[in-house]
Amino acid sequence: MARIFVVDDEPDMVDLLATILRADGFEVETDTDGRSALARMLADTPDLVLLDLMMPDLDGMELLKLLRLDPKGAGVPVLVVSARSGHQDQLGTLQLGANAYICKPFSPRELVRQVHQLLANSQGETRE
Amino acid sequence: MSRRRGRLQTRIARHIAFAVVVSLVASALVLVVFRHRGVQRNMERSARTYASLISTPLANIVGFLGSGGQDLLDQQVARLRELNEDVERIEIVSVRGRVVLRSEVGEVVVYEDGVDAPRVTDLDLLHAISGLESTASRVSRLDGSRAYRVVAPVVSQWGRHTFSFVGTFSYDRVDQELRSSLWLSALILAAGLGLTQWVSVTLAGGITSDVEKLREGVQRIQEGHLAERVSVASRDEIEELAEAFNLMADELLATIRRLREANRELETLDQTKADLVANVSHELKTPLTALRGYLELMSEGGLGGIADEAQRAVMVCRKNVQRLSLRVEELVQLSRLDRFTALDSTREDVDLSSLLEGVFETIKPRVEDRRMEFVLRVEPDLPVLEANIEQVERVFLNLFDNAVKFTPKGGSVLISAEHSVHDGRAGVQVRITDSGIGIPAAELVRIFDRFHQVDPSSRRRFGGMGLGLSLVRSIVEAHRGAVWVESEQHVGSTFFVWLPTADVGGVSLVKGAPSARLENADEDRLAVEEM
Repeated sequence: MARIFVVDDEPDMVDLLATILRADGFEVETDTDGRSALARMLADTPDLVLLDLMMPDLDGMELLKLLRLDPKGAGVPVLVVSARSGHQDQLGTLQLGANAYICKPFSPRELVRQVHQLLANSQGETRE
Repeated sequence: MSRRRGRLQTRIARHIAFAVVVSLVASALVLVVFRHRGVQRNMERSARTYASLISTPLANIVGFLGSGGQDLLDQQVARLRELNEDVERIEIVSVRGRVVLRSEVGEVVVYEDGVDAPRVTDLDLLHAISGLESTASRVSRLDGSRAYRVVAPVVSQWGRHTFSFVGTFSYDRVDQELRSSLWLSALILAAGLGLTQWVSVTLAGGITSDVEKLREGVQRIQEGHLAERVSVASRDEIEELAEAFNLMADELLATIRRLREANRELETLDQTKADLVANVSHELKTPLTALRGYLELMSEGGLGGIADEAQRAVMVCRKNVQRLSLRVEELVQLSRLDRFTALDSTREDVDLSSLLEGVFETIKPRVEDRRMEFVLRVEPDLPVLEANIEQVERVFLNLFDNAVKFTPKGGSVLISAEHSVHDGRAGVQVRITDSGIGIPAAELVRIFDRFHQVDPSSRRRFGGMGLGLSLVRSIVEAHRGAVWVESEQHVGSTFFVWLPTADVGGVSLVKGAPSARLENADEDRLAVEEM
């Protein structure tokens, strides 16, 4: 089963995301700190990253940039979770290399749907 | 401005010149008149003196010489004449009016007691001749010229008065004096005029150079050199004006500084507010996400089955979390709109038909249990709008939601979109008609105001903070569109939204003939939902 890495500074959010994804049968790894999360992801590349944008120290945008700079992290699909619902914010994130965007507060069903879609897309690309 | 430059100097110079010329002319006239009078008085006085002096000697000469020695007579009379340069004619006349001796210029006639002697006929003169007092008078002659006539009695050493002396004196010399004075005055005036020209221009220049300095200072400030000051040291009103002007410039500068300061503060405040809203939205949305997520997992059995009672409680929680989420999103949208201008918003081509359909499908589940008629009718070939898709979506989401919310079970909400020209501009009009509770006439104007709700209790009954319609108006107006409402209480309301068509090369496109529109509309119901 696909392995998903969840990064969010809020333990409750991490818990919720992990619960939803595990209920759907995914293997979930979590981290509440941006720097250690990046190190762990680069050490052992996950199939998909769920990334919160607003984090102290190293925020989601920075983490995304650094991840994309590394050859190991360049191809990982990233689903950004953000409280910002503006069109501009979404565009900015996508330009930085995120694959999809989901706004808080979202429904678990919507999250799972997006995760499945991203994974399907990335598998299709790998096969080609 | 430059065309008028120097005019002030000319004007002042003209005034000075006028004053100088008038006073010159006046004084010249006064001088001439006085001089003329003086000369005339002198001439008359010397004429009278002359008459009283020579009357007796002349009569004696006539008595001694008679007509016997004409040459001697001529000589004597000529000598007497020389004593006065104005004398024209001298006569010795008997008190009865008979002329005894008459001397015109260069000729002396002595009349013996003959018949040919002329007689004086003028009564006034006769009267004067017979009088014992000397008299003098100005007389007019037949040719119109004036003359001075002096009559002096000749009294013999025995006291007899037989003859009188009559002298006629000419004013020619006086008149000539007057003419030459006039000429001299005219000459002085002419010279004075030239001098006046120069003096007045120089004097006026002294005044206007200060005014010019003032004008230059004003212009410098007008050009934006606000720190410039005008310096005029004329010790008069102009200097005072310059000082007042400098004070005004100081005040202006201070005001501008204050305004800049205030503006900077406002900008900072605005940024702080934007940051605050962004943070608040994050702070609110994250817990809401956790709530929503777990509640959904619970109600859908993702966390193991729960009792029916608990399930109902979870549903209530879910509904309220949904409501909170909507309110938070409204707040965020509104704060963003405050900073929204036509320039910084992203515009794209919007296909209104599919946008309306999307919103319609979103709201549709809400009417499913309310036995309501919910219809969307879109005219074909609607033009493309240039708009912010997210915001336009919010407009219709709010309006559709409102219409459904305020319409009781079994009512109807009809939505239609069609071509429409508003204020001479082409665009699309969307009508949302409900059979709801309606809006009191007094409230129609205010319902688009922020935080305004028709009935304070409706906040409890229907939810919302009264931000929805103000958001609608802000968005529509930011798109240079219009929104308005017609309503009748207990019958229903119709909301109109008009949005302009995207301009193509500056020309608005109107597609389709207006008459053909409504017929097409019926055939092309995009979505009809009746329950």
